Amino acid sequence: MTLLDQIRIATPHRLETRSLILLSLALVLFLLPLLQVVSDGYNYVLHVLMVIFMYIAMASGWNIIGGYAGYTSLGHPVFFALGAYFSGVLLVYRGWSPFWTAPIAGLVATLFGFAFGLVALRTRGPAFVISTIALLLLAQLILDNWEWVGGSNGLSLPMIGWPYRFYKIPFYYGMLLTALLAIWVSYRIRHSKLGLFLRAIAMDETKAEVAGIDTRMCKVIAFAISAFFAGVCGALWGYQQTYLRPTIFLTIGAAADLVLINLVGGRGTVAGPVLGAALRVGLDELVVNQVGSTELNITVTGLLMVLIVLFFPGGIVGALRERRHLPRLLDWD
Amino acid sequence: MALLEVRDLTKDFGGLRAVNRCSFTVEQGSITALIGPNGAGKTTVFNLITGLLRPTSGRIYFQGQDITAMPPHRIARMGISRTFQITRELAELTVLENVVVHAARDGLTGLIRGSILQHEAERAMALLEFVGLAAMAREKAGKLSYGQKKLMELAGALMAEPRLIMLDEPAAGVNPALLEEIMERILQLNRSGMTFLIIEHNMDVVMSLSHQVVVMAHGEVLCQGAPEAVRQDPRVLDAYLGAA
Repeated sequence: MTLLDQIRIATPHRLETRSLILLSLALVLFLLPLLQVVSDGYNYVLHVLMVIFMYIAMASGWNIIGGYAGYTSLGHPVFFALGAYFSGVLLVYRGWSPFWTAPIAGLVATLFGFAFGLVALRTRGPAFVISTIALLLLAQLILDNWEWVGGSNGLSLPMIGWPYRFYKIPFYYGMLLTALLAIWVSYRIRHSKLGLFLRAIAMDETKAEVAGIDTRMCKVIAFAISAFFAGVCGALWGYQQTYLRPTIFLTIGAAADLVLINLVGGRGTVAGPVLGAALRVGLDELVVNQVGSTELNITVTGLLMVLIVLFFPGGIVGALRERRHLPRLLDWD
Repeated sequence: MALLEVRDLTKDFGGLRAVNRCSFTVEQGSITALIGPNGAGKTTVFNLITGLLRPTSGRIYFQGQDITAMPPHRIARMGISRTFQITRELAELTVLENVVVHAARDGLTGLIRGSILQHEAERAMALLEFVGLAAMAREKAGKLSYGQKKLMELAGALMAEPRLIMLDEPAAGVNPALLEEIMERILQLNRSGMTFLIIEHNMDVVMSLSHQVVVMAHGEVLCQGAPEAVRQDPRVLDAYLGAA
């Protein structure tokens, strides 16, 4: 009984200071656009933060299948593109704002992810990775040749009708809400039966199956949920860019980004993709600021990421936890 | 009616026939041992019964119901738990979590509930108490000794509230003190009605535990019977000693 009590009582009391800090941080992020309202000049800050939120949402989503279940997907740009084109087409042909079609775009991505997962997740290990690459290439081929959505020239979207000074703000909030939702869902899954089963699958799928877990259904559900966030982000990002082109969305590079962010931050942890996304975007912007937007920013961030992965195999969160230095502030598992 | 009935079970791997028209039964409440020289096909039979392999032909009945080629998780849910010859612990999960993953659950809604429910934690702790691992409940499973992992797997198998427990070489690689412990637990569970099917090489263990022995060699069942009878059977002696 004492052990049980320990398990139950282990956290709540200290959790309050942590929640307080995190809530304050969220509050600051919610109020930040006020700066831009009061005095112009913060569009760049809002833009960078928006990109960070987007990567947090997508990487946290990716982590549900790629981290918890250990199934590396390189197909997530397809859900991103699916969301972008779904909302983009509705905007162009129907005039419907992506701000309210974005959640539907997410659900479309979820449905598509579920259907694809039912087939692809029959396989295990490398075969699954290959199947997601195939999906990526197939989506490229389709979008390049589908004239109704612009083919390889892409599709121009009408600009959002806001004055330039404020036009980043709705995207900022859209991505912020998506990121918070992604973190919350990731957290809830990590602490649910599904999360326990996914982690069991990552460690030994045969054992998990023999223990009575419907491993395939768990994987498909995880994959479908993870597709949702890429879909929503795609819808918002496409609108923000004002044009859609297959080559923007459907690259192996974009797929690898999500893997890298998780590897750096800590794959399979709740906080990992959040840290990883902030670092990935932050580093990239820093290099671009210092030396300009050459290929160098990709090289430098790439190198730094390789170093982190080499010396901290569990990512930042994993490495700190192993050394028992993980601050409670970052221990969301 | 037997709890488990294997009828004409055959499994080919390419050109190799690993299991050839095997038939045997496991009676409710018994401890049945499955013995035979290395390569006889015992573990393959286990994998066929638990759904990890699909038989080439033949049927498997559990409680009178045909479970042939059902997916493993459904077979587990029907009441067959198993352990592995080389333990398969979920190394990064805690010992408690390793036991709780076996808990029965109900459909999709079950997935969004807390990872360890109160009643599951209590039951898992009671089982860990039973196998003497309660103090290790919060340790990573990877930290346990080999014998402790076997005990943890037994606790996990029990967590599923099975009707039949299949143990693949519970005695192998376990020190004598722990072996005593494991055997005592098996007997204790059997006295309260649990049925066991056990693969074992240690003949002392087989003779002292089992009510029924099924002998396999070269993928075939040589005979099934009481331990004393089987020990006298010339076919069994041939199989083990290789006398022509």
